[in-house]
Amino acid sequence: MFRLQGSKTLAVDLTGDAVKAKNGSMVAYDGRMTFKKMTGGGEGLRGMVTRRLTGEQMAVMEVSGQGTCYFADRASEINLVALHGDKLYVEASNLLATDSGLRTGTTFTGLRGGASGNGLFTTTVEGTGQAAIMSEGEAVLLRVTPQYPLMVDPGAYIAHQGSLRQQLQSGVNFRTLMGEGSGEAFQMRFEGDGLVYVQPSERNTIGGDV
Amino acid sequence: MPFREINSKMVEAVVSPGQRLFSQRGAMLAYRGEVSFTPNIQGGQGGFASMIGRRVAGEATPLMTVEGSGTVLFGHGGHHIQVINLAGDTLYVEADRLLAFDGSLQQGTMFMGSQGGVMGMVRGQVTGQGLFTTTLTGHGAVAVMAHGGVIELPIVPGRDIHVDPQAYVAHHGNVRNKLSTALGWRDMVGRGSGEAFQLELSGSGAVYVQASEEKL
Repeated sequence: MFRLQGSKTLAVDLTGDAVKAKNGSMVAYDGRMTFKKMTGGGEGLRGMVTRRLTGEQMAVMEVSGQGTCYFADRASEINLVALHGDKLYVEASNLLATDSGLRTGTTFTGLRGGASGNGLFTTTVEGTGQAAIMSEGEAVLLRVTPQYPLMVDPGAYIAHQGSLRQQLQSGVNFRTLMGEGSGEAFQMRFEGDGLVYVQPSERNTIGGDV
Repeated sequence: MPFREINSKMVEAVVSPGQRLFSQRGAMLAYRGEVSFTPNIQGGQGGFASMIGRRVAGEATPLMTVEGSGTVLFGHGGHHIQVINLAGDTLYVEADRLLAFDGSLQQGTMFMGSQGGVMGMVRGQVTGQGLFTTTLTGHGAVAVMAHGGVIELPIVPGRDIHVDPQAYVAHHGNVRNKLSTALGWRDMVGRGSGEAFQLELSGSGAVYVQASEEKL
């Protein structure tokens, strides 16, 4: 059971079950807990090799026991995501914890990775259960419907779920080439039906500089 | 006197004649009325011996005395501020986390290494907070700084709380603390979960934990 204690601490109540969390993110616990490092994000040998190759590395530990365990990471805001058999796409660095019932994996994101500064691969979380993702500042949840596509700054994007197609869209024109860029040269365009999490802060991206 | 929380990063204190307040030097953001700020070389109260004690212990954060009549706004470095009200019990906190506190509180230093023998020495090394900590005892309010939000976890007999040493902020009450380890062969070969050491707190009171593993 995931719940927020304040906006920056995640409390997970465990009754003999387990939760996967970012390595070293435990700040406190009561009761009895054991912490076990999971090699390759707990995805087995294949997952481990894929993660090595894709550079989408994720150091994960499995926490099991009886009691309440508290997680936090560098004072980031925490958002709870409920999954009902669908798939969440999130950068490994923004993933704090997942229910033990959820599967994690990696997927190719194509060109947008290069412009968003996130690499070409992203992490997926699949199944039914809860996940906790982190953002710098309070994230907003934006809905995408077939009628209303959404454009997001690659540096402000943190995660999305649902059946969405994404592509990189460029606003590079003559002015940009002349050094008169607006700093919004690239956007991620989402089409379909789903939700996108956007943070009120921008990572450094190649797109932000042109 | 109580502190009023303006937002999560600013507190306001009312200063009235005859009442003193100590604050970290440079933590005043704004004030109204006739208020004076005097640097306090003794690092609080307790006289000369206590000053030497704090110097030796490395718990000598420069403080200033705030007196007069008016209201003062405190904040520092954009850190999150937690106000803790003491009702006759003792607060244990690292000196550099103290933003401001009621002048009527008794201030002292405590050797934390004595709790738990050799592990006490290790505790200082692991937490990076030294072997000494500052104590404040009495009735009054204390404003404590933390990186990120703070949660308060009650400690009740029979239900020990374990805290990541880097996320520990302060605790109060009748609490014993010792360093516990979860060292197994996995940690020895460098495959640890990153949670090898914890502070184990037992007794009755409360512990404050920050939502970050960074120091101030």
